[in-house]
Amino acid sequence: MNKLHTKLWSRGRALFGWSTTEPSRAVPPPPAGLQDLLETHLQLDRAIDQKLVEVVDDTEHSALSIIKQVRGLYDSAYLLVQYLENSSPQANSLGSDIVNSVSYLVEIGAFIQELPAKMTRDLHSVQSVVKEITELSALVGSVHAISMQSHLLAINAAIEGSRAGPGGAAFRVVADEMRLLASNSSTVASQISEGLRRARSVVEGGMSTRISESTKALEDVSQAVASIQKLQENFEDMSQYFKTRFAVITQHNQNLSRDIAEVLGHIQYQDVVRQCIERLRAAIVQRNAALQTAADPMQTLDAAQLQAALTQILLDFVAQEEMHKHSARHDDQASGEPKFELF
Amino acid sequence: MAKTIMIVDDSSTMLMSLRNSLEIAGFKVLSANDGQPALDQLLAGAKPDLIITDINMPNMGGIEFIAKARAVSGMRFTPILVLTTESQQAKRDDAKKLGATGWLVKPVSGADLTRIIKQVLPGA
Repeated sequence: MNKLHTKLWSRGRALFGWSTTEPSRAVPPPPAGLQDLLETHLQLDRAIDQKLVEVVDDTEHSALSIIKQVRGLYDSAYLLVQYLENSSPQANSLGSDIVNSVSYLVEIGAFIQELPAKMTRDLHSVQSVVKEITELSALVGSVHAISMQSHLLAINAAIEGSRAGPGGAAFRVVADEMRLLASNSSTVASQISEGLRRARSVVEGGMSTRISESTKALEDVSQAVASIQKLQENFEDMSQYFKTRFAVITQHNQNLSRDIAEVLGHIQYQDVVRQCIERLRAAIVQRNAALQTAADPMQTLDAAQLQAALTQILLDFVAQEEMHKHSARHDDQASGEPKFELF
Repeated sequence: MAKTIMIVDDSSTMLMSLRNSLEIAGFKVLSANDGQPALDQLLAGAKPDLIITDINMPNMGGIEFIAKARAVSGMRFTPILVLTTESQQAKRDDAKKLGATGWLVKPVSGADLTRIIKQVLPGA
């Protein structure tokens, strides 16, 4: 029992820095004290280990959820852009149709706007015609006068023919024919005059009505053309606005894709941390095995051997960690090796 | 036509992260959570254009998988990238001797991964 007590105390000094003064053997500690202490330590380690496993599981579960949600974000953004890209050609086609239609309308409007000048020119032409008709009417008056004079001349000729007796018979016949001709001329002149009057009345009346109606119609058309031009400007403004919005949304989506790619890269640290924790757990298992061996009275491991074993575990651990210098705290060349190498 | 990439890793996080990064970049993805099931897929006729494999896996590690994958018909010249937390040169040399095409240290961002894949797979 005393030998065991001394051995345990020696190991306790080596392991935990216990006092070099060995406690009185009159009241020896229970021989199992170190083993109880070690068992408590192992229980603590097991609890920590269990918690570390839970932490790894939890972080993995969270990482997978984040990946799923981030992918959902990307898919939504992708669908939005697809929708916009599909809509864009249709919108462009519609825009082209609108622009073409509006161009036609604008051309028609321009033609209609030219109409007043054209109608004025036409009016002047018609007025010239009316003037010509009026002048013709004056000529009809001359025809009437000539007819009247011819008629008087025929009457005088008939009178003179009668005075001449039988020798004037032929002269009377000519005078009668001339009177008939004068009468017919007068009748025709009256008909021409009436025809010219009706023609002038129709032309002047028609022009007056048409000009009045056209003036109102032209005002309506001018307003319509102005509205169409305004619509065209509004459409072009709106079209430009949506093009700009589309470009902004596309840029946002590209940024989103880039950020999502970055997030997916950063999430990989969960695996980096998991492997780090697994290496820590492995080192702790090795350490505890060495401690258990040292505390086992049936083993012959002394303090120096225990220290050597622990030192070796430490060196192995440090060496192993040197091979895994790659976290965000280190730059690409932290371990002396590049993060990417093509052979 | 979209290139097909096989990813081999025992970490669900890595598989999901890589799968989504690659799919977003426009690739088709095959996956396996260990070297053996990945090898089984190749033996069953899978023809990926590129393989990305981890090194430390519980049943069949990446080094062994690379060696056996190279023996599969049609896989002799398929690019194989190692993606691992380790950066030691000795391990790189081992992988290179067995036919690995390149070495990547985790973590790798989607942008970097795409850039590297375009280097390995021109036209991808």
